[in-house]
Amino acid sequence: MSNQKKRNFQIEAFKHRVVVDPKYADKTWKILEHAIDEIYNHNASGLSFEELYRNAYNMVLHKFGERLYTGLVTTMTAHLKEISNSIEAAQGDMFLEELNRKWNDHNKALQMIRDILMYMDRTYIPSNQKTPVHELGLNLWRDNIIHFIKIQMRLLNTLLELVKKERTGEVINRGLMRNIIKMLMDLGSSVYQEDFEKPFLEVSAEFYRGESQKFIECCDCGEYLKKAERRLNEEIERVTHYLDAKSEAKITNVVEKEMIANHMLRLVHMENSGLVNMLLDDKYEDLGRMYNLFRRVPNGLSTIRDVMTSHLRETGKQLVTDPERLKDPVEFVQRLLDEKDKDDSIISLAFNNDKTFQNALNSSFEYFINLNARSPEFISLFVDDKLRKGLKDVSEEDVEIILDKVMMLFRYLQEKDVFEKYYKQHLAKRLLSGKTVSDDAERSLIVKLKTECGYQFTSKLEGMFTDMRTSQDTMQGFYAKYPELVDGPTLVVQVLTTGSWPTQPSATCNLPAEMSALCEKFRSYYLGTHTGRRLSWQTNMGTADIKATFGKGQKHELNVSTYQMCVLMLFNNADRLSYKEIEQATEIPASDLKRCLQSMACVKGKNVLRKEPMSKDIGEDDAFFVNDKFTSKFYKVKIGTVVAQKESEPEKQETRQRVEEDRKPQIEAAIVRIMKSRRVLDHNNIITEVTKQLQSRFLANPTEIKKRIESLIERDFLERDANDRKLYRYLA
Amino acid sequence: MGVQKDRIKFNVGGRVFETTATTLANAGRDSYFGALFNDDWDLLHSNNSQEFFIDGNPECFSILLDLLRTGYLHIPSNVPERLLYREAAFYGLINHVRSAKWGPFNGNRLRYCKSVTGRAPGDGTAIRAGPDGGCAVAHGSMVHVFDWMLEEHPPINLDYQRVNDIGWVNADSVVISTCERLGTPDGGMGLFTSSTGELRYKFNVVHGNQTKSFTAGALSFSPDYKIFSSCKGRSNEYGIGVWDQVTGKQIDFFYESSLGDADKLQWLNGRNCLLVATLFPRKDNCYISILDFRQKRMVWSWSDIGALVTVDEKRVRDAIAIEETNSICVVNEYEDLGFIDLRMEGGGVRWSSRSRLSTGNMLDEPCYPKLALHEGQLFSSMNDCISVFCGPDCVLTSRLRRSDGGSICDFSIGGDRLFALHSEENVFDIWETPPPIL
Repeated sequence: MSNQKKRNFQIEAFKHRVVVDPKYADKTWKILEHAIDEIYNHNASGLSFEELYRNAYNMVLHKFGERLYTGLVTTMTAHLKEISNSIEAAQGDMFLEELNRKWNDHNKALQMIRDILMYMDRTYIPSNQKTPVHELGLNLWRDNIIHFIKIQMRLLNTLLELVKKERTGEVINRGLMRNIIKMLMDLGSSVYQEDFEKPFLEVSAEFYRGESQKFIECCDCGEYLKKAERRLNEEIERVTHYLDAKSEAKITNVVEKEMIANHMLRLVHMENSGLVNMLLDDKYEDLGRMYNLFRRVPNGLSTIRDVMTSHLRETGKQLVTDPERLKDPVEFVQRLLDEKDKDDSIISLAFNNDKTFQNALNSSFEYFINLNARSPEFISLFVDDKLRKGLKDVSEEDVEIILDKVMMLFRYLQEKDVFEKYYKQHLAKRLLSGKTVSDDAERSLIVKLKTECGYQFTSKLEGMFTDMRTSQDTMQGFYAKYPELVDGPTLVVQVLTTGSWPTQPSATCNLPAEMSALCEKFRSYYLGTHTGRRLSWQTNMGTADIKATFGKGQKHELNVSTYQMCVLMLFNNADRLSYKEIEQATEIPASDLKRCLQSMACVKGKNVLRKEPMSKDIGEDDAFFVNDKFTSKFYKVKIGTVVAQKESEPEKQETRQRVEEDRKPQIEAAIVRIMKSRRVLDHNNIITEVTKQLQSRFLANPTEIKKRIESLIERDFLERDANDRKLYRYLA
Repeated sequence: MGVQKDRIKFNVGGRVFETTATTLANAGRDSYFGALFNDDWDLLHSNNSQEFFIDGNPECFSILLDLLRTGYLHIPSNVPERLLYREAAFYGLINHVRSAKWGPFNGNRLRYCKSVTGRAPGDGTAIRAGPDGGCAVAHGSMVHVFDWMLEEHPPINLDYQRVNDIGWVNADSVVISTCERLGTPDGGMGLFTSSTGELRYKFNVVHGNQTKSFTAGALSFSPDYKIFSSCKGRSNEYGIGVWDQVTGKQIDFFYESSLGDADKLQWLNGRNCLLVATLFPRKDNCYISILDFRQKRMVWSWSDIGALVTVDEKRVRDAIAIEETNSICVVNEYEDLGFIDLRMEGGGVRWSSRSRLSTGNMLDEPCYPKLALHEGQLFSSMNDCISVFCGPDCVLTSRLRRSDGGSICDFSIGGDRLFALHSEENVFDIWETPPPIL
């Protein structure tokens, strides 16, 4: 039937075109207006698209485009006014529902109207600079609905109220919320921003300002951070559910500012739960949370870093200056290593291995390790301890790990040359007493030192190893030449190159006759094979194994020092010897002799001698006997010498002095190197450059550098500039 | 149900057509058919067997249906093009027709399409191709605008002052530059709606807070919506003016009296600079310079003052910068091409005589040669023909000639078409590349 109707209409339209009915435009517009009304009234099923399209087309064709366009604006505005009233009339929760439903209706109607008016939209509108139909429909909706005075505030308040409800734990209709927000975005980003986003951010800031105040009063730091993190995640989730993605940065910024940035210092310094407590208690989770939250705000990480640094420096300082700790160097270093392990794992587990945090840690260690002048000595002692006994039953990998850790501490040292000095002493003792556990471990550490400080640093240490090897060969050669010596006492000699080893005060004692004969034999053998050398005996460093039979026939093998051996051998020919007699016969230096006698007569279990009178210390008038009642469970008895492993006070002074002496030529060499290439340089620059050059070994003292410069001037290596006294010249 | 479900029957002006929804879907949503088959409207026509009546021309419907089916446009000689275009506009298929009518531009595959004769009394001044296949032609004080269908729109004038140059801002807007009339604010520059000929706004030159009258010369446009024009004012306003296309406000002015007469401006995208050329016979010598507005200075310049006068006098008549080769291509009155190196100051012209393989018919009223550049192809007009040069060495590859209408005074390429304006007879020709047949 509709087909018939259309035909009728078409014929009619044709007549109009020919006759040009003066009311043509009015009549046609009435038809289209009616159609628009029907579309808004959900009554479009009775409409014919073909008919309406051609009517709109004809109006534009006959220059009634303007009429059509203004008609559209008027009609649509009227419908929207009606709609705004029905939305406004909706009660309570129905308000948003109604708004959403009407919005969907309007969109559908707009689409259909655009279909009908397509020809106008494509031809009349662009050439007359009018707003296209779809955009027009959105603008009219914005002006008549969203910006309608009775709707605008109500809409905003409803939306903000819903957000607030959700924040306080209620469940809201997120789908509806999403549709309404989407509508605001469809109306243009400025509508979304002005009519929702801006007030939303303001209200949120207020909300979080209040909440953070409440939390900070009643929560500890970890709890607070947990709550802040949850709030942050909630807001991010809210954005993905029903806000514009671009709002995420803005709302998280609000939460960050209100909950974190504004309370940063208070959180970090919170009593009993702040950053320092977290560090002390290894609260990786809380620390990680703090790191992740604070990194979001300006100066957040630097705040954490500063507090951590001062905490590290404080605890480190306490550790290295605690007089209790100084008693046990091994424990001292072990504590440092433990502290480093603890801090490392905090940085890797909680602070995302942040480079700036690692740097802060390193600088803290560097700071406090050098607060204690004995740190180089202690680190060397720690190594000594490990290499003497500590590495037994430890796998090769673990050895490497321990050595690497030591190297790490070594890197923090400013006075690396002091360490070298001690290391050399300790290494010498280990090598000569054959106490070193693992040759591989020793060499591995040397390689590490070499990579860290260069060839020069380790050349002497390596020379010590070479000496040990050649000595072995020499001894083999000696006994191969004199096979008859195998039956008598055995002599093992280690030939040490002067200079490679720590210089020892040479005080040769009188050896027993059988031994000195043997020594002479070796001397002539050695000098026979190596011309131009000089041998001097270091009797203070040797050891001896002697067999002894005591009064009741008990037999023991005694492991003693060379000095002790000399003393004991005297008792082969005497039962009683006074201190004076012993001193005369052996010519052992008094302090060494006292220690040596003390260790044989006063130590329980090792007292192979008996002394009169009985007392702890050795007096000049004491007399000594063989202790016939000596017993021991073991056949082999090791008699130690009472030696302080740590240096005594004068020894320390001496080492210090030696280090200072050694530094002088190094500073001078550096000055000459620099001046040779620069020819002329002023005082301050020399100081800087010398300090820089020597950094890998020690921290040069400016006064000392100045002294060295003066000395060089005296020796005509340098001269002062005649005009500028601050300027130095190199004299070739 | 076995038969095709999407078959659709139309009765167009009494002739029945049968097609499928798939074919009609090629029209797109933004068309008559797209709207017709939208869910909101199909309530009436749920019955597939029913035919739709359309009060239209069946011949045209058939052509358009073929276009939707095959993507190929064939207009039989008995169907007037204007009628077809009008029907296509009704169905919202005009863009389909336009893009099927001619193919992507290629200087070596151009086909003469059509000539349009105008009614203007004087000689042609300039022709400019629009972005969608239309053009604007200036004769004396009038500009005639044609759309791609070569339908003429209402002509444009700016206070009936003599037009110096035309430029398309976009498919809807044209800028014209004209001479001033002494003592009045008439003339200058204006922006017009191309379809209605309505003046949207005039561009002013403001000097010391006063709006000055001025003569606008050559025009150029940059992609960041700036318009450049050479300007001559009453007092000091000699130089290059810069305006915002969107607001029409003056945003800059480069004062340099020698530039006010410039014949040619060319915006150089790669360098972010403007080429300004003042040529013989406006001045006795030829001056070419490059301006950098960010630094407010001339960053390169060249002139033929003091150049050796060779046996046959060679004067630069047009210049165009080729950014890819860092050179400026120039042409003399014998259609010799020459090149100036942009990378150095004070270099000479390297003339290449290879280009002059044959001259066109010498006509009674010769025109100076002009140059144009399009996607690496160089075009040069001389007498009644246009030569096409390709490749980095500018090898002559094609020549376009139509002997009616006398010599070519201007030509322009745009919207995948080439327009050539003849000085006599008031005729312009359209050249297009045929669409590819799949």
